[in-house]
Amino acid sequence: MKIHVNEQTIELAENTNIEQLLTHLDKPFIGSAVAVNQDIISRSHWANTIINEGDKISLFQAIAGG
Amino acid sequence: MLNDDELLRYSRHLLLEDVGETGQQALKNAKVLIIGMGGLGSPASLYLAAAGVGHIVLNDFDHIEVSNLQRQISYQSDDIGEAKVEVAKRKLQQINPEIKVRSINKAMPEMQLTMELIMADLVLDCTDNMASRQLINKACVDAKVPLIVGAAIRFEGQLMFFDHSETDSPCYHCLFPSSEEQTLNCSNAGIIGPVVGTIGTLQALEAIKYFVGLPSGIKNKLKLFDGKSLDWQTFTINKDPKCTVCGQH
Ligand SMILES: [Zn+2]
Repeated sequence: MKIHVNEQTIELAENTNIEQLLTHLDKPFIGSAVAVNQDIISRSHWANTIINEGDKISLFQAIAGG
Repeated sequence: MLNDDELLRYSRHLLLEDVGETGQQALKNAKVLIIGMGGLGSPASLYLAAAGVGHIVLNDFDHIEVSNLQRQISYQSDDIGEAKVEVAKRKLQQINPEIKVRSINKAMPEMQLTMELIMADLVLDCTDNMASRQLINKACVDAKVPLIVGAAIRFEGQLMFFDHSETDSPCYHCLFPSSEEQTLNCSNAGIIGPVVGTIGTLQALEAIKYFVGLPSGIKNKLKLFDGKSLDWQTFTINKDPKCTVCGQH
């Protein structure tokens, strides 16, 4: 199935959860935030949140600067 | 009641239906704690002082260095070596002698932060590291004090508002549960002045709106700013029921 990650379309296996997606993309868990269709998914829900066809995933890092 | 000097000083606020004399009086009564007086705290405090926020507490433990001056607009070359909060306090009083400014020139231990929160209506997190951000978040959740968080790095900015006076409010820890310092900061990644300035300015805007009773457009939202495209993205922050800071535990 096709999904969108930070505006880029990628191919992803059905029934992939967010933890698996991050691993697949080689992204760190620590300091990362993930939104599915503009809704931020809490870290504790990554493993049980299954990504659906056409979902818009946003990945970004915590920034601490100021 | 506003005095004649104040009526003149704030005349452009008084013209606004959303502020008016009632809003200006609310600003005068307001107590804000600004933690971190760098690139975010500089513009935030300058605007809040100018706007007539009556009680401003500034907290930082840094001294001014030459590398700060590229973005920390409260300070000038003559100020190098001086304590940030002392210089900033002087500057704010010069801008607006009608307000009260207090400075705390040290890293506040948790106990002192808790005491300060008893006296604060609102906190601006303008710090530059994850450990402080997590500490401030927890203290604000516990004290039920609203928190406006700004952060910036390179060309990117992040802005969020949590109203911890509401028990179902999510918190910063729901969004970023790790306090490990994997995150980027200004000294290791670089920062463009107007990007951090934009975020600090918007922290001031949200604070003014909060004090005059206007709803925030960013409550429980995370705003991401891209300083290259000038695009904003908006995300909804959901409360994590398992959050160790704000969850039921
Ligand atoms: Zn939380």
